[in-house]
Amino acid sequence: MQGISTQRAPHPSVVLPHFAFAAISFLVLSIVLIFSTNELAGHFFQPRILALTHIATLGWITMIIFGALYQLIPVVLEVPLYSEKLAKICFWLLVTGTILLVHAFWFAKFDVWLLIPAHILLIVFIMFSINILLTAKKTIKWNIESSLIMASVFWILVTVFVGFLISMNFHRVFFKNNHLVWLKIHANVGIIGWLFFLIMGVGSKLIPMFLLSHKLNRKKLQFAFYAVNAGLLFFFIDNAYLYLNLDIVSFILIASGLAGFISYIYESYKKRARKNLDIGLKHTAVSILMLLVPIVLALVMSLNPEMEMKYILRLNIVYVFSILLGFITSLILGQTFKTLPFIVWLSKYQSLVGKVKTPLPKDLYSEKLLNIQFWSYNISIALLFVGLIGGIHYLAVAGSYVLSFVAILYNINIFKILMHKVKKEEIKN
Amino acid sequence: MAKIYESNTEEYKINEMLKGVIDPEIGINIVDLGLVYKIDYIENKSIGIEMTLSTPACPLGDVIISNVEHILKRSYQDYSISVNLVWEPEWNPEMVSPEGKEALNFF
Repeated sequence: MQGISTQRAPHPSVVLPHFAFAAISFLVLSIVLIFSTNELAGHFFQPRILALTHIATLGWITMIIFGALYQLIPVVLEVPLYSEKLAKICFWLLVTGTILLVHAFWFAKFDVWLLIPAHILLIVFIMFSINILLTAKKTIKWNIESSLIMASVFWILVTVFVGFLISMNFHRVFFKNNHLVWLKIHANVGIIGWLFFLIMGVGSKLIPMFLLSHKLNRKKLQFAFYAVNAGLLFFFIDNAYLYLNLDIVSFILIASGLAGFISYIYESYKKRARKNLDIGLKHTAVSILMLLVPIVLALVMSLNPEMEMKYILRLNIVYVFSILLGFITSLILGQTFKTLPFIVWLSKYQSLVGKVKTPLPKDLYSEKLLNIQFWSYNISIALLFVGLIGGIHYLAVAGSYVLSFVAILYNINIFKILMHKVKKEEIKN
Repeated sequence: MAKIYESNTEEYKINEMLKGVIDPEIGINIVDLGLVYKIDYIENKSIGIEMTLSTPACPLGDVIISNVEHILKRSYQDYSISVNLVWEPEWNPEMVSPEGKEALNFF
């Protein structure tokens, strides 16, 4: 039937394992964080910090992005996924690559133990990109959301390739400039190019859909697409080859692009028909507000390149964590409950709808736990940020304990949804 | 805006029945959401529903449509039932009924 995306959705076995592994990774991440708050006060290029960052970016964030994207591609591009088999292979390779990479970083094994996952992850992202590109090729309705997603695919390839080169450089030095410059490129292109573009592409489609808002100014998204791409391109060329130290130019371009996206979401919020925000959407609102933190931090760092090293290091750590644990984690913690219950509900009840009384998707998880999760998360992130930026160790530790509590609540709800069973009396009716 | 049918007509009964079809994401029925544009009832023969979705990309579209078909089939077993999905006019929040707006806290 024309315009229907449920029929194009992949089999749940493609999507659901990603959510399970991501939830466990989030729990591991929060527990590891408790034991790493000392390292967070120092230089970012430390084995444990690298391990922590990659549990967050690969095990938690990328894992959930892969799963969600396979489900959302039919919604955004209005075509089915090119290959479900390829997606399943990618999942297992991503699991293997992530575990091996985190192991290599945690135990500071920068030899063959690093090279193996580096190769695996390069293959994963090439396969993933092929799958998405061949899916996009089938779409008839090309729109700005599709362009934003394709930009994220391009930048993740750049990110992984630079990461791959950094790991090779440990084995045999070939970078002419300081390898920390390449780490800076790897981190920023990964965060802004991969994560931000993807969030903009999917968020600009889903958020107005959930809020029931119409007639939005889509030129803001086009502006975001061009400005952020231009900023990233300049950032890459300047840091890798020109050495003009003009991060402020990249900052202005990227921040103005992100402002375009934020303005689009704000317009959607103002024009919404659905005035009551559920917890999923409240998490999303907090997330969008938290995006302002890294923007301010990036401005401070771009304007003061000669800042005292102690402050540069602290701001760098807070910048990365405000994005990974702040903006993106809050978004995931909310959006999971706007997508996962529907995926499971559809697989269990689609054939029963209209024939028997079925529960609603929101009945598959505990709203009470989700509510506690929301407020605990806000407390944890406030404690972590104040602790990290002010160098107050006990606050950062307290924040990481509360974050572990959040992760436990999240895991309980996720596995409650994943293990949901249709009651016998529902089938008999 | 959804049509208002006279209370003694079959269209009215069908419209009331369709209030049993709830959008699983929003938790409001499709009539109050203003998604049902037209009901064509031909006695002892067929029922045609012309409706839309809040967005063409709605991930729950075919669940809603199959729910419409099942609910009508229960009371009209011998009728041919068809649901025609249209995108013109495009749905907008002004089409939501006063009851729906109240449920959405629209005011």
